[in-house]
Amino acid sequence: MNGIIIAMLLALLIPIYEAYRDSHIWQKMLAFASIATKTSMMILVVSVLRDDWMIGVVGVLILSVGNAALMLLAHVIKRSDEAGLYEP
Amino acid sequence: MIDGLSYGLMIVGLIFWFWGTLPLVGDRSVLFKLHSLSVSDTLGSMSMIAGLLLKIPREWPLLVLALISLAIWNTVLGYVLAYCSYRGEGEDDE
Amino acid sequence: MTVYLSILLRLIIWFLLTADLSLVNIVIGVAIALILPHDVPRWPVLKDWLRVFWEIIIAVPVAYFEAIQIMVLPHKKEAFLRRRVRPNRTPGLIFLDIFLITFTPKTIVLSYQEDGWYKIHSVERDESS
Repeated sequence: MNGIIIAMLLALLIPIYEAYRDSHIWQKMLAFASIATKTSMMILVVSVLRDDWMIGVVGVLILSVGNAALMLLAHVIKRSDEAGLYEP
Repeated sequence: MIDGLSYGLMIVGLIFWFWGTLPLVGDRSVLFKLHSLSVSDTLGSMSMIAGLLLKIPREWPLLVLALISLAIWNTVLGYVLAYCSYRGEGEDDE
Repeated sequence: MTVYLSILLRLIIWFLLTADLSLVNIVIGVAIALILPHDVPRWPVLKDWLRVFWEIIIAVPVAYFEAIQIMVLPHKKEAFLRRRVRPNRTPGLIFLDIFLITFTPKTIVLSYQEDGWYKIHSVERDESS
């Protein structure tokens, strides 16, 4: 199980690096969406590893409501793009 | 036996994760990266949760909820990102 | 009939979330499922709903199969497609259609056009190489 957590951490580094490197806004959004899923999956695996199901409930809650904010942000960016407020 | 199957599913999920996330660093279009991300983040994570489910069947209600909400939210987020980014990109290209 | 389906869906989510089959919990769940507003049903739509649910069950193995296809064989070409929407779809069914198309890794719906087309982006194999 420890090996799986370490591998997940390594996989998590890729979108973090991408979010740091790329200045294009949609590439950044893609990286953030990936980070959101990967961290909540890590919470679930950690809860199994430590056999503490309270952590697992948090992970499930984040999985079921967490992406809503990203969708809202995507729409806000699209609107500001159309209004010409955002300069790439 | 069950233990081996659950580890196998989690390792398959990890392979999906790495395969789908590595193209993120490249210079492809947003939509192309979205295809590989849906492989890794939706399907890879689903097989990992299935592996966890085999490991602790005691907590099946929450894990099944996690499985369903993962599939729905990630797919819908993919659609929303594609829809929002496409308009922006179309103006850039033409 | 679709009223029963939506109540059933709400009850499934409630019991999965609470994981508690005591009498009080059942009463609360049924009450909430009945109180929440639902739309007016139409009969012929039920067949479409059942078919969409069946298609969702089919879509999971198909999605894994497509994922392995993309992984083994390089899919480098991108293409835009248009697909016709089946007639007489309610907004809920259109949502499920979009979900089904986007769930499989090779295709993503870009937009739903009011005149009855889905705009789809897909990756394909490069035949020249």
